[in-house]
Order: sequence, then C-alpha cells, then structure tokens
Amino acid sequence: MWSLAICALVLLVALVFISVHSALSSFKISGGTKATTQNRKLAVFLGSGGHTSEMLAMISSLDFDKYYPRIYIISEGDTLSERKASTLEATKTANSGSTSKHADAYTFLVIPRARKVHQSLLTTPSTALLSLMHCFYHVTLASSYHRKTFADVLLLNGPGTCLTLCLAVYLNKFLGLPSPRTVYIESFARVRTLSLSGKLLRSLVDRFVVQWPQLLEDGKRGECRGWLI
Amino acid sequence: MRALITVGSTRFDELIQAVFSSSVLTSLSNKGYTSIVVQCGDSSFPYDYLLAHGERAFKLEKEGVLIECWRFKPSLQTEYEQANLVISHAGSGTIIDVLRMDKALIVVPNPTLLNNHQEELASVLEKLGHLRSSTTSSLAATIQEFNPSSLTKFPPFDGSKFRNLLDEEMGFI
Repeated sequence: MWSLAICALVLLVALVFISVHSALSSFKISGGTKATTQNRKLAVFLGSGGHTSEMLAMISSLDFDKYYPRIYIISEGDTLSERKASTLEATKTANSGSTSKHADAYTFLVIPRARKVHQSLLTTPSTALLSLMHCFYHVTLASSYHRKTFADVLLLNGPGTCLTLCLAVYLNKFLGLPSPRTVYIESFARVRTLSLSGKLLRSLVDRFVVQWPQLLEDGKRGECRGWLI
Repeated sequence: MRALITVGSTRFDELIQAVFSSSVLTSLSNKGYTSIVVQCGDSSFPYDYLLAHGERAFKLEKEGVLIECWRFKPSLQTEYEQANLVISHAGSGTIIDVLRMDKALIVVPNPTLLNNHQEELASVLEKLGHLRSSTTSSLAATIQEFNPSSLTKFPPFDGSKFRNLLDEEMGFI
C-alpha cells in the first residue's frame, strides 16, 4: 500500500508541474460549442455486455468522417467488446465505401479493472488505485506530454471502471489541462432508478443523459431525448 | 407453430422449471405450439441430468410438444427468425433484439436478482403494449390468454437523436 501511496504522490507532483508547464505554453482547450467543420477525436468506454451493446448501437449513428480518430477503451480481458467494436468499424467502412480516408482511424486502449467480479473488498482499494493511475497516465500525463488532448469527447455508460476514467478527466479540468467533454448515457434498462455508476457520475460529467423521463422527476441535473438505442 | 425460450447467458432455474411443467406445456400445446427450442443456460431443472455429461443439447416430447433444449446454442439468430413466440428473461438486450424482429414476446423478470431493475423495464414496456410481462407461477395462464396481435409495434432504431445530441455538443450543428 505504501508504494502505491508514494506513486500517487509522485504522480500528483508531476501533474502540478505539467499543469504549470502547459499553462505557460498556452494550450488551446478544445471542445466548446462554436460551429466547426473540423474532426473530433472520440473516446468511448465499452463496459462489456449490455453496456457495450448499447454504446455501439449509439456510436453506429455517428458520422465517422467527423468523429476520428476513435479510441475504444476496454477493460483488461474483455475480448468480446473488442470484437464487437471491430465488427462495427468494419460495417461502417463497408457502408461508407472503401474511399473513406478515416476508415481505419481507430485504436483500442486497455485499462485494468477497478474491481474484478467477486474480488474481496480488502484488495479493491489497491486494484482501483492501479486502474485510476492507468487512467491518469493516458488521460492526463501522456496527452500532456504529447501536447494534445486525449480526446475531444469521452462517452461513458457504466459500469464501475468508467468512474476512474471520469475522475482522471476531472483532475485534468482541475489542473486546467486540455480535457475531453464527458457525456454519460444511462442504460435503456434504467426506467425509475439510476444505476450505481449513474448516481456516481451524475454530478461529475458535462452531460448526463437518460432514456426515460421518469429518472429526472427528482429535479436534479440531466436531460432526456427519449430512446437512444 | 414454434416458440423459443431463452434465459440469455445467465441462469434462471424457476423459469426453465416452469417451461418444463405440464401446465405451461399444455398451454403452449393448446395455443398451437407443437415445437419449442429452449436455451436453458446454467439453470438447474428436473431434466438437466440429460446435459450432465457435457452434452450440448437434448430432445424430448412432453404434453404433445417437441422440446429441443440447449445449454448455449452457438447462435440464436435463426431460432428468433423461426419463432412465432419468444419467452425470455427480462434482460434489456434480449428484449430489444426480439422486439426489433417484430416477434411476440412474453418476459419473466427474475425476482431473485438483487437490485431488480428488470421488473421496471418489463412493466413499463408492458404498459406501452410492446410485450407481456409474467411470472413463473402465472406463465401458463399468460400464454393461454395472450393475443400477439394486440401488441403495439416497437419503434425501429432511430440514430438521429444521439447523433444530434453529440453533434450539438461538439459544435457540428
């Protein structure tokens, strides 16, 4: 545990340093709402099972000539999500014709799970921290070092591990680093009660989207445009 | 006519036990279902000894219904296509797949699941007329009174809502 704590401390110092450095070299923060014809870098977390299916259904509606490159973030060992995403990419390429210049503009990013199924609560803090540091590395450190945003937008729809990604982006914002906009989409299966990840991320993300209006009756933040899948 | 019964990739002992019961099979037979395909997953039920030694499937006839039972069928796609009725656990993925294929659907939410949101989805979609929701104990009666032509058609996938949402957020619109 001590070594992890020290690692976290070193990481934090590094982040503060980078934040000052980046402020001096005047980073341009992307995102925002001005009309543009430029491409947008899309990051998508695929949470396995139903989470992956719903996310890929929504992604399938996007114009891939606007949203590229695309980063699919998957949990360690989730080969099924990787296969499904590759299938979607192949289908989109086939539909748009072989001339599409961004046909293969996608990559996979594998992060450790915050908590494995049936993992004991005693060891969860250390694996969660490892997962969090992995996210910090990709979202904060690596992208700062390369002086470009990790992504323009990060799409999340659960489960647990997506919280660590969201926290990494939150730290970016706190430090004034270029950060992706975060959009959380609650599952179609959630009609009257939010999922745990929904409850946790509701106040952290930039856009909180649900698919049933009943979920917004509590008057807290969020928006509903009906069924998205 | 054919019916497909599936519990997805999970287990749901009570549903599979109900499907193999005389009352449910008699209801199916009364309504003209002469053959059924069952994907039982990891469920345990009175006939599961027929799958005990690594067998992938078995066939059997009971109450005038021909039953073909699989632990996990490699693909359910053709089964969905051939079925006149689908009876399933209330997993949202299965519900959407089946309704998008315009198949009559009866769902049975698993009451033993912790934090049971399957029930919420099943009941709201029943209120909208897209499916029937039942329980393991009332399944036979539900099949008996179920009229597939009374269902409301499920809307097709509309990608424009999510596309507009993200295009707005990213400044494309």
